[in-house]
Amino acid sequence: MPPTSASEPHVLDRPWRIWASIVVFGIVLSGVILGVLIIPVIQGRSEGIDAYTAICRALGILPGSPAKQQVSDRTPPTPVSQVVWTPDVLQILADARPERGRAKVLEVCVACHGEQGVSVAPEYPHLAGQSGAAIYKQLSDYRTGSRTHESMTIIAKDLDEPTLADVAAYYAAQPKRNPNPATLAESPPAIVRLVELGDPSRNIPPCAACHRPGSGGPIETPILSEQGQDYIVLQLKMYASGERRNDVYGRMRAIASRLTQTEINGLAAYYRAGFR
Amino acid sequence: MRNVERLCLAHFWVAFAAFLAAAVLGTWQMWVRSPLGANVGTPGQYFLSVTAHGVSMAYVLTIFFIMGFGYFVAVTALGRPLPGKLWAWIAFWIAIIGVVMALVPILMGQASVLYTFYPPLTASPWFYIGLVFIVAGSWIWCVLMLVAMRQWKRDNPGRPVPLAMFATVANSVLWLWTTVGVAIELVFQVIPASLGFGQTIDAGLARTLFSWTLHAIVYFWLIPAYIAFYTMVPRAAGGRLYSDTMGRFTFILFLVYSLPVGMHHLLMDPEHGNGWKFIQVLLTAFVSVPTLLTIFTVTASLEIAGRLRGGRGVFGWITALPWQRPTVLAAGLAFVMLGFGGFGGIINMGYGVNAMVHNTSWVTAHFHLIFGGSVVIMYFAIAYEIWPSLTGHDHASSAPLRMQLWLWFLGMMVMTLPWHWLGLQGQWRRIANFNYADPIISGWGPLVIVSLGGGLVLLASALLFVRNLVILHGGPLPALQRPLYALAVHPPQRVPAALNGFGLWNVLVLILMLLAYGYPIAQFVITPSPGAMVHRVH
Amino acid sequence: MTEQHAQPHERRILGTELLWAFGVGVLIAAILSVVVFTALTRDINPPSNVERIDPKTLHLSGEFAEQNLGTTVARDGGVTVRIITTQFMFAPRCLVVPEGRRVTLRFASPDVIHGILITGTNVNTMVVPGFVAQVYSEFTHSGDLLMPCHEYCGLGHSEMWATVRVVPESEFKPDLDGRVACAQR
Repeated sequence: MPPTSASEPHVLDRPWRIWASIVVFGIVLSGVILGVLIIPVIQGRSEGIDAYTAICRALGILPGSPAKQQVSDRTPPTPVSQVVWTPDVLQILADARPERGRAKVLEVCVACHGEQGVSVAPEYPHLAGQSGAAIYKQLSDYRTGSRTHESMTIIAKDLDEPTLADVAAYYAAQPKRNPNPATLAESPPAIVRLVELGDPSRNIPPCAACHRPGSGGPIETPILSEQGQDYIVLQLKMYASGERRNDVYGRMRAIASRLTQTEINGLAAYYRAGFR
Repeated sequence: MRNVERLCLAHFWVAFAAFLAAAVLGTWQMWVRSPLGANVGTPGQYFLSVTAHGVSMAYVLTIFFIMGFGYFVAVTALGRPLPGKLWAWIAFWIAIIGVVMALVPILMGQASVLYTFYPPLTASPWFYIGLVFIVAGSWIWCVLMLVAMRQWKRDNPGRPVPLAMFATVANSVLWLWTTVGVAIELVFQVIPASLGFGQTIDAGLARTLFSWTLHAIVYFWLIPAYIAFYTMVPRAAGGRLYSDTMGRFTFILFLVYSLPVGMHHLLMDPEHGNGWKFIQVLLTAFVSVPTLLTIFTVTASLEIAGRLRGGRGVFGWITALPWQRPTVLAAGLAFVMLGFGGFGGIINMGYGVNAMVHNTSWVTAHFHLIFGGSVVIMYFAIAYEIWPSLTGHDHASSAPLRMQLWLWFLGMMVMTLPWHWLGLQGQWRRIANFNYADPIISGWGPLVIVSLGGGLVLLASALLFVRNLVILHGGPLPALQRPLYALAVHPPQRVPAALNGFGLWNVLVLILMLLAYGYPIAQFVITPSPGAMVHRVH
Repeated sequence: MTEQHAQPHERRILGTELLWAFGVGVLIAAILSVVVFTALTRDINPPSNVERIDPKTLHLSGEFAEQNLGTTVARDGGVTVRIITTQFMFAPRCLVVPEGRRVTLRFASPDVIHGILITGTNVNTMVVPGFVAQVYSEFTHSGDLLMPCHEYCGLGHSEMWATVRVVPESEFKPDLDGRVACAQR
């Protein structure tokens, strides 16, 4: 290779290292000075926020905006449900023993809900194969008074929390019946559309978006397939009127109040037939 | 060259097969969410499709294409066999296993969490483990690129690494840095949660770690297109590269400024203070510099080519360029789309205007135009340019190639420009069906249908692209050997180590990341936020 | 080209590149100046609150219990709207805000990540479980606006939206508790 008049590489290196570092640090420094010092302090001045607080808010160490005063809380009212879904509660459910639950079921629940979770009368819901979390929540709500029923309130108050979990686990483990293929065949398109697509004009999400197992909705969502028709109609009516109000943040109350009577009947028939 | 043909073709065919499948899905999605598809498709099907489309386009098409192109550049630009070819095949198969592992749960509807998979929505663990395998395969590719460059430098002391390879290795270094964010998120947060270890997950930390990857990955996608701009396009136009030095500088700027800017994807998020957001917005302004420099350098290079072909006057060189060559045509079309898409990017960067467009169709339109448009059209150009070398056959006529490129350009413009406008109207994203009866929404219907039309044109272009490549596998004409990479006007004899390696830049990236992301991530450890319950979608 | 001619020409090429880079720098500075200017004169900030809250106990008590949601006017006249974003609806589904007054909107999520925008305004924020999202705005025209959820939150995401009713000052009448609700649900 012919010798060139260009400098050796390592001599060219040092200016690069120096200038590159100066430029990069300069950019970051100007960002810090502007974004963490100048802008927050000046913004805070017009609202009477001191410089230290404004800078802490800009860094995210304190809540709030450096440009506006922060609002304060209101007093706490009565919650609609005392059930919280935390890892501890899920651990209680995971530790539950269906065998212990069976003993309690034979003692208390079998008279209305049956030994296998198939209820003896239309006003009592089937519990066979129901979600354990759903049963647990409803029992807990009966216990705390978030949901009321002439019989269930007294029964639930007599049970302690591990027993609630055991009963829930027992019924959750019961097999569901096989739906009648004939009834699965027909279903009005409008109902199927509500279940699968919902109705965006009425803020109604597809029922399947929560109630189909594996859909990723709220943890306490009950499984509806093969549930009693009269029971579903009654619950939707009670949600619509607000008489039942243990759904957190009114999810079911908002939906039920915007369903027509025909739709309520149709959905109940759809799920009684065994569709998922 | 004989060294890596099968390796490159294997990667490219996986990439383009995923591309074609995703194009079909994308068109179906556009139909479903338009007024014409009001009762078609359930949300379950729609979001399955969106997940499959996003994973295929954002991860499979890109990673496999870039790996294949990297092997090709390593052999042709350095003029020597690929070191560690066995490892390259191992990397390929690891990535393929990852694709299958991720695809199966997606198709079974157990991973409808979209390609951004923001927790607490949690999919089947196989989905995430599959993504990890794909990334692991790509890491092996990064190491091979570094090894290839190091071996060449050892055997050619003091000489500048050929620009195409320098840029490819810059991209590998960038990718190693980029994937750290999503790797930490997957390995330490999401995969344990999806396997059932722990019932809560820190959603703010997950979003922050993903943002680290989410911005830098688009530059990982983009750099091969810019490699083509700097090295292949001037050659195809019959000219020279205006400045090799600025080329190197551009790729270094991408490496340095792609990473500490991810927070501009979190400008509307509550978990970071606005001081940090301002710092990262400032840095984001600087990542627009290399693109603007590229526009100048490449245009100047094309001007050289045009004037060598006899173009006179201020603009006469433009018409003198050989537009009938697919690579040149693609570059011109890419520049037009880059103009629109780049403008959109500058809008996204300013948080005042970002508030108008965040999570609206503007965002979807922006990345389809800039990535699906200007970057992917250059992927087509690269494929057309190197397919004769890989298959040994040439096209009888380049007309189908040009038609495919024009269809892609027209389809992309027709699809994305109305989409930008709809975003400004407030149309929000990731929606399976709109209530077109609502007075605000009903006005959007016609433009959504126009976008759908653009999507159909894109589908036709995608099919034509695959056809154009397939026919070369048994084509009539033998391929002519032709040089691929342009010479610079002043080919450098020596360059400083800063423009020939990445030691200095890695140090600066580390410091920048510590300054820009250090506290924003550390705050989740110092002051842990209350975890959100995991919501399984399977 | 001989070595002696190459260097000055190469320097001229680099000179043109640097000139262009200078122009690019001016553009960058202009864009950033606008950001800084609006921050200093109009308090334009990205929504950043960094206020942690436990998503699992939101409904129990405190600020985001069900009865506290909606529009409240404090004793000092400050208007605060508290909204829950959950799968798959907003609570409350309809909000009332006054025209021409600063309103503070506070959002929380008990489950997954949601996001909101209000059409025709620059109100836009993500709602991340674990944090309270807070934005300030002043609504300039009366009428009904759409507030959809704009981040994928599950299969019911497409049906999740709320109405923001901007009413003139004369119609904005808080009750004894300082609450204001939409006329019909």
